[in-house]
Amino acid sequence: MKRFAASLIGLLAPLLVCAPAAHAATFYVTVAGLGGEPDYVQEFTSEATELDKLLKASGPDNHVQTLTGNQATRAHVEEVLAQVAREAKPEDAFVLTLIGHGSFDGVEYKFNLPGPDISAAQLAALCDRIAATRQLVVNTTSCSGGSIGALERNGRAVVSATKSGTEKNATVFARYWVDALQDPAADTDKSDSLSALEAFEYADRKTAEFYQSQKRLATEHAVFDDTGRQPPVRTASLSTGEGRLLAQLTIVRFGEARRAALDPAKQALLAQKEDLERQIDALKYQKAAMAQADYEQQLKALLIKLAIVQAKLEP
Amino acid sequence: MKPLAAAFVLAGVMLIGGAVPGVATAATAAATPDACASLHRHGRTEEARACETALAHSSNPYFRAEGAWALGEYSAANNDFRALVAAHDDNALYRVRWGRLLHQRFNDADAESLFKEALQRDPKNAGAYLGLALVSADSFDGRAEGFAAKAAALDPGLTEAHELLASLALEDSDPVRAAHEADAALKLAPDDATNALAIHAAIELLADRDPEPWLKRMLAVNPHDGEGCALVAYHLVLNRRYEDGVTYYRKAIALEPDLWSAHAQLGINLMRLGRADEARQELEACYAHDYRDAATVNSLRLLDSYSHFDVITDGNVVLKLDKSESALLRPYVEQVAHQAIAAYQQKYGITIDKPVQIELYPNHDDFAVRTYGMPGLGALGVTFDTVIAMDSPSGRTPGTFNWASTLWHELDHVFVLTITHDRAPRWFAEGLAVHEEGQANPAWANRLTPDILVALKDHKLLPIAELDRGFVHPDYPGEVLVSYFEAGKICDFIQARWGAPKLVELVHAFDSVTPTVDVLAAHLGMPAAAFDQAFQSWLYHDVGDTAAHVDEWRQGLVKLLTLFKDHQDDQALAQADVVRRLYPEYVDDGNPYEVIAQIDQAKGDHAGALTALLDYQKFGGEDPATLKALAAIQQAAGQSQQAAATLDAINDIYPVHDEDLHRRLGALWLAQHNATGAVREYTALVALHPLDTAGAEYGLAQAWMAAGDLGRAETHVLSALEAAPGYRDAQKLLLDIEHAKGSPRVQ
Repeated sequence: MKRFAASLIGLLAPLLVCAPAAHAATFYVTVAGLGGEPDYVQEFTSEATELDKLLKASGPDNHVQTLTGNQATRAHVEEVLAQVAREAKPEDAFVLTLIGHGSFDGVEYKFNLPGPDISAAQLAALCDRIAATRQLVVNTTSCSGGSIGALERNGRAVVSATKSGTEKNATVFARYWVDALQDPAADTDKSDSLSALEAFEYADRKTAEFYQSQKRLATEHAVFDDTGRQPPVRTASLSTGEGRLLAQLTIVRFGEARRAALDPAKQALLAQKEDLERQIDALKYQKAAMAQADYEQQLKALLIKLAIVQAKLEP
Repeated sequence: MKPLAAAFVLAGVMLIGGAVPGVATAATAAATPDACASLHRHGRTEEARACETALAHSSNPYFRAEGAWALGEYSAANNDFRALVAAHDDNALYRVRWGRLLHQRFNDADAESLFKEALQRDPKNAGAYLGLALVSADSFDGRAEGFAAKAAALDPGLTEAHELLASLALEDSDPVRAAHEADAALKLAPDDATNALAIHAAIELLADRDPEPWLKRMLAVNPHDGEGCALVAYHLVLNRRYEDGVTYYRKAIALEPDLWSAHAQLGINLMRLGRADEARQELEACYAHDYRDAATVNSLRLLDSYSHFDVITDGNVVLKLDKSESALLRPYVEQVAHQAIAAYQQKYGITIDKPVQIELYPNHDDFAVRTYGMPGLGALGVTFDTVIAMDSPSGRTPGTFNWASTLWHELDHVFVLTITHDRAPRWFAEGLAVHEEGQANPAWANRLTPDILVALKDHKLLPIAELDRGFVHPDYPGEVLVSYFEAGKICDFIQARWGAPKLVELVHAFDSVTPTVDVLAAHLGMPAAAFDQAFQSWLYHDVGDTAAHVDEWRQGLVKLLTLFKDHQDDQALAQADVVRRLYPEYVDDGNPYEVIAQIDQAKGDHAGALTALLDYQKFGGEDPATLKALAAIQQAAGQSQQAAATLDAINDIYPVHDEDLHRRLGALWLAQHNATGAVREYTALVALHPLDTAGAEYGLAQAWMAAGDLGRAETHVLSALEAAPGYRDAQKLLLDIEHAKGSPRVQ
């Protein structure tokens, strides 16, 4: 399954590079909700602040707004999302990240904020007004699984730290989501950019390791839905298409890959590169039916050709 | 369950026959529980069986219960006793006997309740106290002797109480007291007290003398006394003479083939010695014959789980590692094992002529079952002959367990117990192993914990001649750990005063059964009392001041943590210094070093943080996150070699579930041209199946390239590129490798 997911990322990598228009921007809104206790206040604020810093450093096309502490009221959230709705175009991307505590009464999920809380349905309505056709909501709160039903929509991926609204303990997913944005190891396809799928897999893995190392029963199990239909899943799948949108949503860029890809003078090389990548993917799918030595020989030949092309593309 | 309780089951039946009406036939007229038990104790099996059958068919419900029990019809006996107790609420005897049945059938919780209920009805019931003693003896909770003594005082004729006291004394390594109690039992019942005879036989065996006269006497009373031989075996095992224990369990089974408690113990001890196949046969036979105590069932489950283990032979070392982590742990465990074996071979001047088997269990309860048959064991590692079973690092939370020092400790046992033929007293074997940990690595040295400080303050150290008792029958919570500390410090003291060769001399002095006091006199020229005085004077000179101020330290620590929490950084730093001076060795939760480091880091005083965390490490701090923070500061300060050493120390603690550790250390060693180390770290990283497969494979390819192995470098760089074809760094390395192999360089 892991190889499958990796292949999915690989297959979608050219789309990732080519899909966004040249002037597409990404709008990020991060909200650190009510902490309740000093330790949580500090933790949530720290995570949101760190995320704000990373996103702002990631690229000039990023529009980043972060609400923490007493600023994170429902009124301010509505205000900020309304501003994004005014500015964002269909070709843009939009990422909303919620950090803090949530609650779920069996029917309705609420994100806890200073003053009145905001429900998943209210958040969904605010997001629906945003024209960006690629949207991502990362809900890292307790009970966040209870928000998926209200938030999911075609063209919007939803990540939640818990698999349902009944996982009510405080979560650790957020800290590893933030870590993913600064750990090169999270960029598993080495594309110099981090997709939402890579960030999800990284944070999910680190969260599981946290509970394992602490000898604690895991009280959160992250899931995502990016097809706009229930139920949410834990792993990407080519057959159901789960993970496709997440793989296309770039959270941060680490290198110069995008710039090189947009250089018209290098289109021929790019075409060669993409052709070789397709051949490599096709070969990998045939691996099980091939003699190992034959597979390795063909793979090596293709990889050397790809390395030569890419050396010319990115000297 | 140890065999003692089973051995005493039939010996405690009290005479009530005359008081009970309803004897129906002439055949059953003589059949009383006492009479049947007497026949059984004298090996008159056929007659005992007839007697017990008659009891089971008696119209007297109590007799029926005893008869069913003796015939092994436990469910029927249980039902009969339940009915008896319900019908005779004020009867203490029925509760005592029912409790004994439940105790024999592995239900100590309900048995204990019944004994206590009996005492509520009859506060002077000796049988109830004896029952409580048996339950306590099984759990080693330190109360058994008091209960047994109370039983003996209430009923001076209760042979069984003296037999139990004799066994408990022998558990305490006090053969004189054991013999005295056994003799008291024999005086009361010269023709019946076979367990007392078995205790005498065990005393002789443990002293390397001939047990035959006592065994002959025992078998003269009962030619089929398997339980007596099992009792001997139990004491041999308790003194780590596992092979001898197995021999006596086999004798017990030969005398009494359906003695399933002995089969179970034989199976468990064969498992301890690494003979899994024969162990399985014995334990499965127990299970098939409805002997299903927790130890038997747990052991069978563990044997089933062995299919999940890899067995790897590396020279004279055999590793048994869980498949899920064997590729990761193997290089680390092999390295520590070979280093320790080489060090001990040189120190002790012998070579172990058998393979040393090392088993690591990722599930602590599996290790406990492997060791003791039951979960819940507090130990970290155990040595059986040349077989070591221990927790895997993944079996404990990070920072609470140093697997490398534990392995070093256990390997000392392999050598010392081999040289001494398992005769070294417990205090010396454990103390020397603790001492050797500190010799191997100062950060592994004997740790002065707060509990030990309190024991020192209260002057609770045991005299050396009685120190074994602290390991087996602790008088207070934590005494076992205090005993480990004391024993280790005694060996430190001997080395400090007489030199390291004296410890090796003592190892050989214990190669025959010699009391500690005699060895001290012969080899240190000191009576035990003088030794105690000299040792404690040395120890208290070193740590007495810390112990005296332990309460002040506790209050100071609370104040420090409050100041830190309130962000009063300057006052917290000052208070941390006070606390640190009072008790420098404290490196557990809330220790001052981490507080100082955090405050200093926040202030930008990296040098201050570095100093604090180096102290933390020096005093044995083992939290991986804190050590990684230290390594980061060292690296930022340009101390790359020290950073690598710090990270490498984490491998001794928690090399599992930590991709970041191996990635960082691999990169550091690669930069320091330590290709061997880099290969090991990146191999570990790949074995963790990281999300970043490409990065891990690329690192390993680089390491092999640095080691000059182009073939392996190519294999791993291709794996990296298979996972991430567009990985530029790996592509460059691939082209470099091809060039190095003779292909023209690509422009």
